[in-house]
Amino acid sequence: MPRYELALIVKAMQRPETAALLRRTVETLMERGAVVRGLENLGEKLLPYKISKHNERHTRGGYFLIDFHAAPGIVTGLLDHLERDIDVVRPTVLKNDPEPSNGPCCGPPVASKLQDTV
Amino acid sequence: MGSKMFAVRSIRSLQFTFSQLGGTQQCLRSLSGSSNVVKKNDDMPLQMENPYKQPQKGCILCNITVDFKNVQLLSQFVSPHTGRVYGRHITGLCGKKQREIGKAIKKAHSMGFMSVTHKDPHFMKDPNICDIRHLE
Repeated sequence: MPRYELALIVKAMQRPETAALLRRTVETLMERGAVVRGLENLGEKLLPYKISKHNERHTRGGYFLIDFHAAPGIVTGLLDHLERDIDVVRPTVLKNDPEPSNGPCCGPPVASKLQDTV
Repeated sequence: MGSKMFAVRSIRSLQFTFSQLGGTQQCLRSLSGSSNVVKKNDDMPLQMENPYKQPQKGCILCNITVDFKNVQLLSQFVSPHTGRVYGRHITGLCGKKQREIGKAIKKAHSMGFMSVTHKDPHFMKDPNICDIRHLE
């Protein structure tokens, strides 16, 4: 199963409400057959720009990252469900497969290659 | 006719001189003997790795993973006045890393992690790694 990352921006709420939101989000994930790997809290920050969502203009938001393994078919359904949740400001699901580290990052500059051909 | 005759005469004279030289060389070879014969291969350059080779220089982001969450790193490649991404001639990054930075910045914009029109004020005091001088 490929590995995904859900970057969740939630409304600035009190602690028990945020906890309830995270609980139901993770439960939704598990219901759809995802294996939740971990949950990170990036803190409550000022949003980079004001976001209007669910008839509200948000200035501050809580940032969370949920790492999970899931079948690719559930992703659209999950995003649909999260868009309808009024406490969620912006949900984004990203693929997070670890890439094999390549060889030397920066090869020789292009000028030397030209000299070899000439 | 006259020019042709002249040419022939000059070639003949050249042939004569060459035969003389060849003869002298042959004489020298016979005098020296077989022991001190200089092999023609000793004159060729030796095959070795370049002794003046410098270590390969990479761009500043060599071996550093670029992530959309690392907004501070991404903000270093963005104008503080307008929030525009700097080009390769300013950042000095290699092709791969420049593309990764560009894509990560766009991702951060759309996901609500990084501002589009300005640079986060907390990151204004970061060291300048791009090749650009700002006014004042």
